[in-house]
Amino acid sequence: MSQRSLGLVVDGTFSGGLTVRLNADTSTEQLRIGNFVVVEGERNRYFSLISDIHLKATDPRLLADPPRDTSLFVARTLAGTSTYATAEVQPMLMLEKVDESEPRDFLEERSGPQPVRTIPMHFAELREATELDFATVFGSEGGANFAMGTPLAMDIPICLQLDRFVERSNGIFGQSGTGKSFLARLIISGVVKTKVAVNLIFDMHDEYSFDKETEDGHWVKGLRQIFGSQVLIYSLDERMARRAGRNVDVTLKIGLNQIEEADIVLLSEELNLRQTAEATIGLLRDSFRDKWLLKLLQMNGEELNNFCQASGAHPASMAALQRNLKRLSRQEYVVDEAPFSTLDDMVEALDRGKHVILQFGRHNTVLDYVLVSNLVTRRVRQRYEDKTRRYEETQSVADKPRQLMITIEEAHKFLNPNVAGQTTFGTIAREMRKYNVTLLVIDQRPSGIDDEVMSQLGTRVSGKLTEQRDIEAVLTGVSNRSALRGALASLDTRQQILIMGHAVPMPIMMRTRQYDESFYRAMGARVGVPRDAEVDIRDLFGDD
Amino acid sequence: MPLKLGRISQQMQDMAQTMAHLLPAEENLLERARDCLRSIRADALCEKLEWQSRQPVRMPWLVAMPRSAPQAALPTGLADTAAPPSVPSTFSVVGVDASSIPPDRHSSVHYYLVNVGYALLTYGREPDAILEASSQLCFRDEDLYVFPEKRDVPIEGTLLSARMEVEALHLLQQALDSRPWPTLALLDGPLILWTLQSETQEVRRALLQGFLSTMIFLKETGVPLAGYVSYTGSRDVANSLRVWLCQGQPNECDRCASDDRELCLALAKIRDRELYAFLADGERSQLFGSSSQILEEYGEQRVDFFYMNVGGEIVRVEVPGWVASDADLLSFVHAAIYDQCQRSPSVPPYPPVLQEAHEQAAITAPERRLVEEMLEQALGQYGRPVVRSAKEDSKRRRGV
Amino acid sequence: MRIGEIVETMSTGFVAESFELNRPPPLGGLVVVRLPGAEASAGMDVYAVVTYGQTGGLDPSRRAVRRSTDTVFDGAIYQEHPELTRTLRTEFGAALVGFAVDDQLRQHLPPQPPPLHFSVQTAPAGELQRFTDHLQYLRLLLAPYGQVSPLQVLAANVREVYQHRGQDDVWLSAAAREIATLLKNDHESLLTVLYAIDPGQVPPSVERGQVPPSAREGAPA
Repeated sequence: MSQRSLGLVVDGTFSGGLTVRLNADTSTEQLRIGNFVVVEGERNRYFSLISDIHLKATDPRLLADPPRDTSLFVARTLAGTSTYATAEVQPMLMLEKVDESEPRDFLEERSGPQPVRTIPMHFAELREATELDFATVFGSEGGANFAMGTPLAMDIPICLQLDRFVERSNGIFGQSGTGKSFLARLIISGVVKTKVAVNLIFDMHDEYSFDKETEDGHWVKGLRQIFGSQVLIYSLDERMARRAGRNVDVTLKIGLNQIEEADIVLLSEELNLRQTAEATIGLLRDSFRDKWLLKLLQMNGEELNNFCQASGAHPASMAALQRNLKRLSRQEYVVDEAPFSTLDDMVEALDRGKHVILQFGRHNTVLDYVLVSNLVTRRVRQRYEDKTRRYEETQSVADKPRQLMITIEEAHKFLNPNVAGQTTFGTIAREMRKYNVTLLVIDQRPSGIDDEVMSQLGTRVSGKLTEQRDIEAVLTGVSNRSALRGALASLDTRQQILIMGHAVPMPIMMRTRQYDESFYRAMGARVGVPRDAEVDIRDLFGDD
Repeated sequence: MPLKLGRISQQMQDMAQTMAHLLPAEENLLERARDCLRSIRADALCEKLEWQSRQPVRMPWLVAMPRSAPQAALPTGLADTAAPPSVPSTFSVVGVDASSIPPDRHSSVHYYLVNVGYALLTYGREPDAILEASSQLCFRDEDLYVFPEKRDVPIEGTLLSARMEVEALHLLQQALDSRPWPTLALLDGPLILWTLQSETQEVRRALLQGFLSTMIFLKETGVPLAGYVSYTGSRDVANSLRVWLCQGQPNECDRCASDDRELCLALAKIRDRELYAFLADGERSQLFGSSSQILEEYGEQRVDFFYMNVGGEIVRVEVPGWVASDADLLSFVHAAIYDQCQRSPSVPPYPPVLQEAHEQAAITAPERRLVEEMLEQALGQYGRPVVRSAKEDSKRRRGV
Repeated sequence: MRIGEIVETMSTGFVAESFELNRPPPLGGLVVVRLPGAEASAGMDVYAVVTYGQTGGLDPSRRAVRRSTDTVFDGAIYQEHPELTRTLRTEFGAALVGFAVDDQLRQHLPPQPPPLHFSVQTAPAGELQRFTDHLQYLRLLLAPYGQVSPLQVLAANVREVYQHRGQDDVWLSAAAREIATLLKNDHESLLTVLYAIDPGQVPPSVERGQVPPSAREGAPA
């Protein structure tokens, strides 16, 4: 195992990190911001990140008058001696060194790496991280440890501690094209496989259930195909339910009776509502209870006027509201009245350990997504509150609600600063940990999400971000932001991510693992088994 | 600084002016003197000189007696010249020189030090150089006095110089080892030690003894010896011309009424080196014998001389008679000296072998002090502190 | 091989008279002075790097003069003036860079300067290799010690060692880096040295310079 030395610590502060004079033979181009490196102190080993790289010269005259047309020999000699580079290194974790003569107990007997409490002295050596270092910090695969990928320059797994992951709400970010839904699929697969939580996925673009063509043109399997009946497919789209080979378990209908004031407010923009709409809805609700929407939509002009006179509502507002909300009733999946039982059954299914994907099919406008997601989640949340309360009363393990992770895309629609205070998602993000419900928010514009929500996110998984506002947003509430800021901007568009937060011991850049046959197999899918040749053919050639 | 440089500087200007006025006249007379030299036949001059020497009144001047040439091809006229022959492919030149720390009258210890340096240079296919020096501290009576048993005639001044010549020649004898190619032994200075002339005959003989024995040794070994006199002040040839011109008695110039009186008086001021300025590069003059009285002590070892242009200077070269009368040896001496001078980096040239010998012989001021100190130390150990005269002491202290 | 004799010595280095006229050891070359051990103590090998070579009159007051003629010049001058081999002398200076006692190699100044009149030898290949495996001695060369710029001496040493180590590129780049570290605050000086040791700039044939032929054959010991 190579332990290539990179340089020596020459300066530093606890708060600002260490300055390392790079060895003459260490090129700055061998390093990158965010690299996981190790500083060997006398007593501790410091697992660190490279946060910055500086070019320097021992004699400022060299910089004023750099040698031109000089021979390779001179240039090579100057590089690393007269001209040199320093790296700013941020220690993140430290591990007390033990007697190296007992390597067998190395991993097992010690408490793992601790948060840094000090810094090493001068001339401590900075070196490349070895596989053992990665393993020491990120643990090995198995149990709740789910391999997310590998270090950028190494082929060993880096694990996400999924049990810790699902304890809190998390986010997946990255500008478009960085594979956010793929990342989500990866993580959700892990959650399914490790059974640390059940999933409810609002699948706006039908990406999670079945085969999906990726951006680079090959087909990948959906969760249903990997995990079979563990995953239930709910769909808003009846047509989709009829497609061969993609069996939908439940076609979901939304009743006007289920739509609440808060849902409408959330859709103000989509429905073009005036500011008075909220007050008007309040009046309607006072009169008609949960039938307010149905009643409103059924009113003719006279009834409308009468209601206005009786309640003091503004007739023009009422008319406008009615006109705007008629859009809702025109949605195919909306019926006048629907029982809550479908949703309650879904919660029960979740409680039995099933995972639910709600497909939107053709109904994939923001209006549909926001309305349905919010409505469904509100119901789920209510049920979980009930369950939790019962569990608190009985304190019986059987009553303990399963940990639930709700995946939403376009998260800023629900969690932007204007609405985050009112939506169920906002509530969950802020406080639902205690009801065993957490979110997995997926968004390409994290800056659009409320700061308070962002700071509550336990683990952030991010692909490349270039907008400074988005980078700052992702790093909300994270310490040592400087190291990570550079790392975020430097990620490759494809397959490279930065994970930081609750589920990893320290922030780490990695290459994500392949979402391919071997992955499916690792997830327990029946892939490549001879008797399923037919399925494979279908996988290859698509449905006929 | 008591030296009044301002005043001297003015005097220097006067001096330069005076000399500038003198030069043209002398040049004119020089030409006439040379014409005279060219017009006289050597044998005629010989006759006149021999006749003159037989006169009861001694000649007041040293004169040069033209020697008959060892071979017919060589010059017979006084102004005849000989071009330098070529040197052998391999040959050696050995040069000696001496210097001394003379006895110090102001010191309580009486001693002197002679340092003889010699250089043996071999030219040809296998060039070689040996540079050595030999020093001798002289403090015994036999060193300090010509007649030690009587402690008479202290060796100092000219006697010391003569003693140094003897030592030099002695070292030369020791340095010579047999070699299969010709070797020239070159001495810095005259072979005619005329400075001894004023000493008594006993003194002259005592000092010359060693000198002559070495000359004999060299004759026997066949190594030609030559004395190289740079910037010679001798007027032997000019004087011979005066004798030639003289109609009466050479010591009765006051009464002279000859037409050549003016030329004769001019010749008195002319040195031979000026007379022979017409010698071409490398050429030598006719051989002459010397009338120096000291040669009477030399016995069979008569010394002849010639002038030669070594390339920038007319020098006087003195050779023993046995060299002068051997055509091969003479031409080797001529050739080797000219070759030496051509190898000299300085202008006018000086034989490198003598320069190196001198470098070996020279005693620098610090060395002189060192010798003095070492001697004081040595004497001090035996309880004989060196006492200096008050005058010497005051010079050393120079307190103000 | 004995190449000279120490004629001046001090704690930082020595001056030696070269046995061969006009052929001092190459600038930057590694030389060694072997000191015999006393009864109790082991012998010591003192290492030094040649910092200059110089030929002049044996007598400092005698300056060399022009001797060439149309036909006699260069090497022939020494043939025609054999005394030159006795009146000229070639000396070289060397800066002490380390010593070895009991196989213990140290790269700092030895406790005592090497004794006067001791022999100077060129360091044999094996010793050179062993000594230059460590590079701390390079910093000793940066101390000013003579007419030749320390930078040039440093560069010459690196070139010499590089050649003697069989054009050891690994060594060269290590040495270059060491020098870059030593001269980190003096960019101009650093470039001076680097340009001078750049193996790509000067072909090795020029490195082994043609010195005037020495006329001193079989010099006396």
